[in-house]
Amino acid sequence: MAENSGTDPAVETNTEENAAASATIIKVTVKTPKDKEEIAIAEDSSVAQFKEEISKRFKAKQDQLVLIFAGKILKDGDTLGQHGIKDGLTVHLVIKTDNSCAFKGNTAGTANPSPAGNLGTPQGSGPSPTPTQPPNVLAGFGDLSGLSNLGMGSANFMELQQQMQRQLMSNPEMLSQIMENPLVQSMMSNPDLMRQMIVANPQMQQLMERNPEISHMLNNPELMRQTMELARNPAMMQEMMRNQDRALSNLESIPGGYNALRRMYTDIQEPMFSAAREQFGNNPFSALGGNTDNSGVQPSRTENREPLPNPWGPPDASAATTTTASGTATTTSSTTSSTTPSVSNPLGISSSSLGNGMFNSPGMQSLMQQISENPQLMQNMLSAPYMRTMMQSLAQNPDIASQVFTNNPLFAGNPQLQEQMRQQLPVFLQQMQNPESLSVMTNPRAMRALMQIQEGLQTLQTEAPGLMPSLIPGGMAAGIPGAPLPTGVNVTPENPPPSGPAPAPAPTPTPTPAAGTNTAQQQLMQQMLQMFAGGNALTQTPEVRFQQQLEQLSAMGFINREANLQALIATGGDINAAIERLLGSQPS
Amino acid sequence: DVNAAADLSTTFVAMADGSSFNVKLYIYDLSKGLARQLSPMMLGEHTSIVVYGEEFFFGGGGIMSCFPGGTILGMSDSTVDLGNTEVPRDLFQEYLSSLRESTYRPEKYHLFEHNCNTFSSEVAQFLTGTKIPSYITDLPSEVLATPFGQALRPFLDSVTITPSGENGMNGYGQW
Repeated sequence: MAENSGTDPAVETNTEENAAASATIIKVTVKTPKDKEEIAIAEDSSVAQFKEEISKRFKAKQDQLVLIFAGKILKDGDTLGQHGIKDGLTVHLVIKTDNSCAFKGNTAGTANPSPAGNLGTPQGSGPSPTPTQPPNVLAGFGDLSGLSNLGMGSANFMELQQQMQRQLMSNPEMLSQIMENPLVQSMMSNPDLMRQMIVANPQMQQLMERNPEISHMLNNPELMRQTMELARNPAMMQEMMRNQDRALSNLESIPGGYNALRRMYTDIQEPMFSAAREQFGNNPFSALGGNTDNSGVQPSRTENREPLPNPWGPPDASAATTTTASGTATTTSSTTSSTTPSVSNPLGISSSSLGNGMFNSPGMQSLMQQISENPQLMQNMLSAPYMRTMMQSLAQNPDIASQVFTNNPLFAGNPQLQEQMRQQLPVFLQQMQNPESLSVMTNPRAMRALMQIQEGLQTLQTEAPGLMPSLIPGGMAAGIPGAPLPTGVNVTPENPPPSGPAPAPAPTPTPTPAAGTNTAQQQLMQQMLQMFAGGNALTQTPEVRFQQQLEQLSAMGFINREANLQALIATGGDINAAIERLLGSQPS
Repeated sequence: DVNAAADLSTTFVAMADGSSFNVKLYIYDLSKGLARQLSPMMLGEHTSIVVYGEEFFFGGGGIMSCFPGGTILGMSDSTVDLGNTEVPRDLFQEYLSSLRESTYRPEKYHLFEHNCNTFSSEVAQFLTGTKIPSYITDLPSEVLATPFGQALRPFLDSVTITPSGENGMNGYGQW
């Protein structure tokens, strides 16, 4: 223990008169989170004495003070010398409030049982998306299978997004894969769709109100296309950024240029940043679609800067964030999985025959399973605002949707399938918006039942192949896992290409070895689905199904049978709506 | 000399009490992966302090915490052991809440001058009395010294880097 008194007796006697210190007075900085003060104190003081001084200076009670130095808590009985507190050093002070443990603030729950004590090890943060997984996960359909391996079972869609991001963060290839995904590309290459999605966001709308230039930008298809081109091509982006940086530095040298830049930034970019940040939260791509400012500086800035903040956006990025790429990816995954019930049949038709082995992957299966197991997930997915926006856009613009789907590699080699898709699309879209079907999709029991049906069919198929005689090409009905089933309801009757009459067993676009059983299965499915649908006409073709309506329409003077049929299909047999459609499309 | 002995004995006592907590600095190299592809990184590193089994960092949303490695950045690229602290957790939380109200409010974030590394540095000082490696804290001033950095200042004034890693991550453990 160090001697408390000064070592020099002479000094001792000197300071007998001086009560302040027997040794030297040192100045110690006392630092609180909020401010700091310099306190003069005798070097040999005790901590208690020190605290006395501090309490006077900081106007706090002594027992509220906690002093920390070099990671140690200074106890009242200690001395400053004991802890090595010398002149000029800083001591930390925490002034205890009454409820010291009460705050929750921004921290995650302080009780975090799992990683307790595991400072360096917890990979629990990413059980699925560990870096080793992406390679097999990302083969092919990129986002979709990635999602399935990301553990789509997570109840919180936000988590899904975050996981997506994490994958993105750790695996740069994923980004390029996503971008390369033709679905994503086709989405992004469609300026109208992009624009709609962007515009649908309320914050963006606000921004647009304040800055009309932005809406000009958005309305300029050329620019949009350019920007999206940019988004797709990282190399191009970097090139562009370099150019912009050069331009920027030139600008700066112009008198008044710097101010102009600054003004531009504050007026436009800042709100854009915050809007984009709030809206797009954690996604680096979102801003790429959203920042279409024309000035030479902005795109580089935005594309340069946005990726910086966005991947780690403000933590309050709500589930309502619209993310184009990841959102697109997830929506496409869900859309794709929903609209391709047949294609995604994991149990029956070999999807390799459809040109893509992806959907047969265990990932897909587990995906489907998880969807059915976790209604919340579907609900979240479906209720996410951007999903709705997406759906709306698609619904309003069936062309876009059909474009998107036909570009899907799944359909690439299969024109018949494409045809059918196109047919079904409006119906499907309608259905997606139909709250009933939505509720079915989110109803776990219903989904499970559907899964059971599917499984039952599978069994039937293997056990009694000859049971169901025939037909129904298109493989649309069969093996609809969970979610898409309700859509299959109205979809399947339209299965046969509109050109073909019902009974003709048109060659299935899915030449599977068990073609017969497949069609049998399909037919069975179809019938069940029709029953499910509440008794639509059992006949297959839309023509037959809408026979009555067609007659009515032609009686009214709509002689274009083809168009009538289309309209009826689109409206699901609703004559009035079909008429409106027909009338609406006539001027064009 | 005697002081050192006193320090040592205090440390031993503290550890024997079980009231000593290990403090680590997590360093994330932001120049890999996606970040590198999309933008030239200005701020090479993100850091956070890990103590009491939690990771604390400062970003656009203010002071935040999650379980170690739980942000979107995943596990850190490197770790620096800052030693041990006697500061108990509840005291630390108090300290943090004071910081939250004062110098580390969310809006106080500044990419160069008052960022995650500033926070890590300060907390490290508080907890252990040691500083974090200087190359991390020096980085911003190096960049700012370049004309490029200066030109970017107005933009950077509003940029924040905040790995998200909130409670959402915790639920993930269930799956």
